[in-house]
Formats: sequence, C-alpha cells, structure tokens
Amino acid sequence: MELYKFLPKTNCKKCGKPTCMAFSLDLLQGKVKVDDCPPLLEPKYKKQYDTLKEILGSEEGKKKELKINIDDDLCDGCGICVTVCPVNARYCPSSLSGKAPEYPPEEHQLFQVIGGKCELLKIEHCRRLEAGGRERECRVCETYCPREAVKIEYV
Amino acid sequence: MKRVTCSGCSLLCDDIIVKSDGLFVSEVIGACLKGKERFDQVNAKNRITHPMIRKDGELKEVSWDVAAKKAVEIIKKSSNPLLYGFSNVTSEAQEAGIKLAQKIDGFIDSNASICQGKFLNKAKNHGINLTTITEIINKGDLIILWGANPAETIPRLLNKVLFSRGKFRMTGREIKTLVIIDPIKTASFRVMGVRDLPLIVEPNKDIDLIRMLKEECCSADSNPFEGVAGVDKGDLKRLLLHLTGAENGVIILGQGVIQPHPDYDLVEELLELLQMINERQEKGRISLLLMGGHFNMAGFDHVALSSFGVFGKLEFKCNQLVKTEDTLVSKIQKEDFDCSIIVGTDPISHFPFSLSSKLAQKPLILIDNHSTATSYIAEVVLPTSITGIESGGLAYRLDQVPIELNKIINPPNNLPSDEELLNQLYELSNSEGSE
Amino acid sequence: MEFLLNSMRKIDNDQVKEHAFGTEQSLEENLAVCFINPKDFEKLNLVTNLHLKISNNKKHVIVKVEKDDNVHDGTIVMPVSIWSNRLSEVQNNELLYKNIVVNVEATRDPITKFKEIIQELRVKK
Repeated sequence: MELYKFLPKTNCKKCGKPTCMAFSLDLLQGKVKVDDCPPLLEPKYKKQYDTLKEILGSEEGKKKELKINIDDDLCDGCGICVTVCPVNARYCPSSLSGKAPEYPPEEHQLFQVIGGKCELLKIEHCRRLEAGGRERECRVCETYCPREAVKIEYV
Repeated sequence: MKRVTCSGCSLLCDDIIVKSDGLFVSEVIGACLKGKERFDQVNAKNRITHPMIRKDGELKEVSWDVAAKKAVEIIKKSSNPLLYGFSNVTSEAQEAGIKLAQKIDGFIDSNASICQGKFLNKAKNHGINLTTITEIINKGDLIILWGANPAETIPRLLNKVLFSRGKFRMTGREIKTLVIIDPIKTASFRVMGVRDLPLIVEPNKDIDLIRMLKEECCSADSNPFEGVAGVDKGDLKRLLLHLTGAENGVIILGQGVIQPHPDYDLVEELLELLQMINERQEKGRISLLLMGGHFNMAGFDHVALSSFGVFGKLEFKCNQLVKTEDTLVSKIQKEDFDCSIIVGTDPISHFPFSLSSKLAQKPLILIDNHSTATSYIAEVVLPTSITGIESGGLAYRLDQVPIELNKIINPPNNLPSDEELLNQLYELSNSEGSE
Repeated sequence: MEFLLNSMRKIDNDQVKEHAFGTEQSLEENLAVCFINPKDFEKLNLVTNLHLKISNNKKHVIVKVEKDDNVHDGTIVMPVSIWSNRLSEVQNNELLYKNIVVNVEATRDPITKFKEIIQELRVKK
C-alpha cells in the first residue's frame, strides 16, 4: 500500500499497534495520525514524515469507513466473489464447492447473487474490519473479479 | 421458495432458488446474468404467444388449426425436408423430432454438428475421455483454456471449476494452475494469479505451437531452444512441465480451435498431442471438457445413439435410415433440400450470409418462442412453452451428465411444449394419408 | 488496409437478448459495432463521427467503431451477429468465423440497417 512504503517497517510496537501494516491501515481510516508513530518524529525519517503529511493532507485524522462498491453495469453474476470470500467459506458450507448459498442468508454471509447481479448484504463481518494481523489486508473479492466490478475504498 | 435447475446455458446449475406462487416467478437467487435473462423471457417484449402465417409478405396471427394445416401442407409438398436445431429442447422432444424426420423422409441434425460434435467422435478415436465437473472440483489440478472464453459465455464455469474447494483439493484456487492460450486478451485473463501461465499466441499460429509441443514431448529432456508463435522459450518449457506433470488435467476447448484451414486439421493434431502425453504419463491423465451454448447441446447425440446407433446426423428414405456422406453444411450449400423445419435456434443470424441466403430461398417452418431474425423469413411460426420454467424434461449437461428440468409455472395461452407440438405434427402428417 | 476479422461472443453485446427484449434500434446500436486498437484508429484517420466500411469478396457492412486496448494490432473484433456473419465464410463445407482477411476503410455513409440485410436475403436468385 502506498502509505506503508513510507513507514519505518520495524514493527517496534511503540505506537501500540502490532505491526507497521496495521498502523498504516488505521492511518488510512483516520483512527490515528502521523504523529502517533514515535520513530517518524526523529530527524532521520523527516523526508518520510513530510511525504506522509503531504499525501494525507487535510484528510488526516478524519474518520473513514470501509465501502465495497459493486458496479451494477459490469457485474455478470458469475459468483466468484461469493465462493472466494473467506467469511462465506467459513459459515456457508455449500459455497465451498461453488454452489449458491441458502436463502434467507446466514447471519455472517457477505455476498449473494440476486437477480443476476452480486449484492453485498452486510459489511460488518468483513475480514478487513474484524480480523487481526495479515488477514486485515484481504482483497480477494477485488482481485479475482473477471469484470473488475468490485472496488474496495475508504470514504 | 424452491430449488430449481436453470436452463440458461449448458452448465445446468441446480442450486438456483426462485420465489414463485405458481403464476409468476418473482425473484431469482443464485443465477448469473444469462440465467436471469432466461427467466425473464417469460414476459419478454417480443415473445410470440399465437401461431402466425405469412400473408402478402407480413406475419399475421391465425388459429392453431390454420397454422398446423399450412405447416403440414408445406411438408407434404416436399420430398426432401431438412430439420435443424434441437439444442434448445428436451431429450424427449429430440426423440419426437427424429420420429417426425423418419415419417417425412427428412435429414435431421442439431447445432452440435457445427460446435461440440466435432470433437466428441474424434476424441473417442484417440482414447481421450471426457471428465465431469465433480471430478474437476475434487481432483483437478491443471486447467487449460484453449480458444475458449468462459467469462463471457458461461459465467459460472470458472467459479465452479477453478475457485471451488473439493475433497482432495481443500485449498481450492491455490493448488490449481490455470493456463490460457488465446490470441486476444479476453476477460478470462483477469482471474490469473501469480502461479498461472497466460500465453498470447499470434493469430492463426496455434498449429506451430502444437507441432513444437509434439516434438519436444518425444525428446528426453524437453528443453526447447527457441520460442514459437509469439510464445518465448521460458513459457514453452513451463507449459511442457505442466502438461507432463499434471495428475488430473483438463483441457477446455472452444470456438477458436474448430476453425477450418485448407492445409491441416487442427483438432486432429491437438488430440494426437494429448494422446501422446497420456501415453507417456505413468500416473496422470489429461481429459476433455466441451463448452456449449444451448442447454441441451450434448443430448441429441445420446438420443441418436440410443435409438439408431448412429452418432449425430440422420437421413431417412422410405422410413428407413440410409447411410450418407452429406453434412448439414454440404446439404445447404448444394441446395439439396426443398423445405426446412427450424426448432429453437436462429440460423439466419448465426450462419454466414452465403449459407443463410440459400436457406431463405425455400419455405421455412419455425418453432421458437420469441422473435428472431429467422422469424422475418419464416412462412409459418409455431410458438411453444419455455423449457425449464413452463415445462419440464430431461437434458444433458456439458459433461454428459443427465439432469431433470422441472415445471414451475403454467405457460400463457396453454402453449404446448416442444415435444407435444412435434408429436402433433407427426400425427397430422400421418393421418391424411398419401396423395 | 488489410486486417484480420475475429467474431466473438460478448456478454454486453448479446444477440439473443436484443432480439427478445429490445427494439430494432437497440439491436443496431449494440451489435453493429467493431473494436480496434487505438493505434489502428489513428492510422485509419478515424474521427468520432466516421464509420468503418469492412469488405470481403464483394460483400460489405458499415459499422460503428470503438477503441479497445486489448485488441491486437492489425485485427478487428466484432460481436457475433448478423452483421459479422455478412463477412464470415464457408470453407470446404466448414464454417469460418475467425481470422478472416478483410479490407477496411473509413467512410461517412450510414450504418447498414437490419432490414437491408433481411431484404437482400429474400431476393430470389
């Protein structure tokens, strides 16, 4: 990710987060500010500090929410996002072999194909919000969509 | 709420849930865009619900008696009718069509002869088997797409075959390798991961790639010293390693491979290559999976085989089956027919102009449920109910597995199913005796 | 200029969908199109309101042009339709839909209408 490049990448945990990657995700979501990373305030990291301040600009510290957008014109209902999402795989066993999950949807289910197009049912259980460590970087729905209809953004 | 089978394409997904009260279908869950469009055809804007006859150049609605009488009149006046289509109908209707062709001394063939059917016969001669989708989900580890583009034609195929997790393949996508060989960068390329192999060959040069692979297969160390047809030698070596090292590979062939060429037969050479690879392997095999458009494309050959022991096309004279060297295309090219009955397909839009103009010169009877380019040419149009929604029957999936389709709602105007209509035409051409 | 014509199925330009749900106008809008590489677009001196005349063996069609980066240099891609089949051929009793040699030029003439092709089919020979 673009913000992670400019961090010390030492995982020193002085900011209270387990890794620099977790800090960069929280920085993007506005939960922390650049000053919350003590090594960045040192003179040897001045260039990275300035670049980060410039990239974030006035958005620094503003709360941003995760949004997964599915473009209705591009989606063709192939159901790859339904099969590949790790939350769906854990709670809806029929989606493991490529079959459509049951309806009404299970409580944790994220994606379902309705009326020929994919719909996001609820975002609360997405790995990017709930999990810790490297699982927070989950982007499988966006990477494997053959029509590039799924986009992850922070608004 | 009930589970039904979708009849949108030849994948016949049986995990679709619909909300219906017996009169209308209100919601469709789990089906892709093509399946949803199939369910929408019930209320399509250009749906035909009454039989029609062409009078003074325009199609006019008439009663069933008048339309059926006109159709039988056209059949009686002809001594050499041609029957085509039969891929958008159930297997019971395919049987009824063959019975009708036997009665009226016709030549009958299905869409499969210009599509899937070319591979099937030749594959059996080379000892290459077909595989089923369940096998690929549970045991497959190499998938090759050659000249095929499932992301635009059968959207859920990649979902079921590549991303699913099976009994011996619990990590799903990570353990399966995908190879795509195509001259254009199609939408299917976007599901590639870091371990997969995209190969963009130069147009019309697949034959060079096949011949190079055959040569290298025979050599002991398979180390090609140059690339071929736009593929560099590193990729060529990786392709060879995948082909010879796969335990359960499957190759999916599409339209791009069955194009004719005056100097060579691409299908034969490709099947010879697969036979060579299978013979050299101790544990693994490569099998075949064929794509198709209409939902029962694989069924006609099964029905012809079980009723008459013949693969594919059938020609009848004096109620008996005769041996013939003609194919569908050669019959139309030579204009060796005097009327045609088209069932569930649209040849005027799909054939090259030189062929469709010959088809349009003779009287044409169309059995379909919405207006198409062929309906602008037809003399008689007989509508039927939509299979899979308004009537049921047996159909064969693209991997030759038979699946039953169910009736969910009633057809408008009490329209007959394809099987009932073909049986009616059989009775009418039987009862009026010879003239 | 000589090009290679490829006809392929596209899920957005679908013939069956337009015949069942659309009008003649939407049929022409969605199916009488072709896709070429932006470099070829400039070589042919095309501007947005010019159409492309594609001809082969004394038959021709006139269609709309769109740019697409994924198309190879020197090839044209058309969705499978009655327009692309005006140019497909029968070779040795087999049907050829891909890699057909065609001649291409820019033109101001209007797009070939659906009814024109049907009328030509009905002409008695």
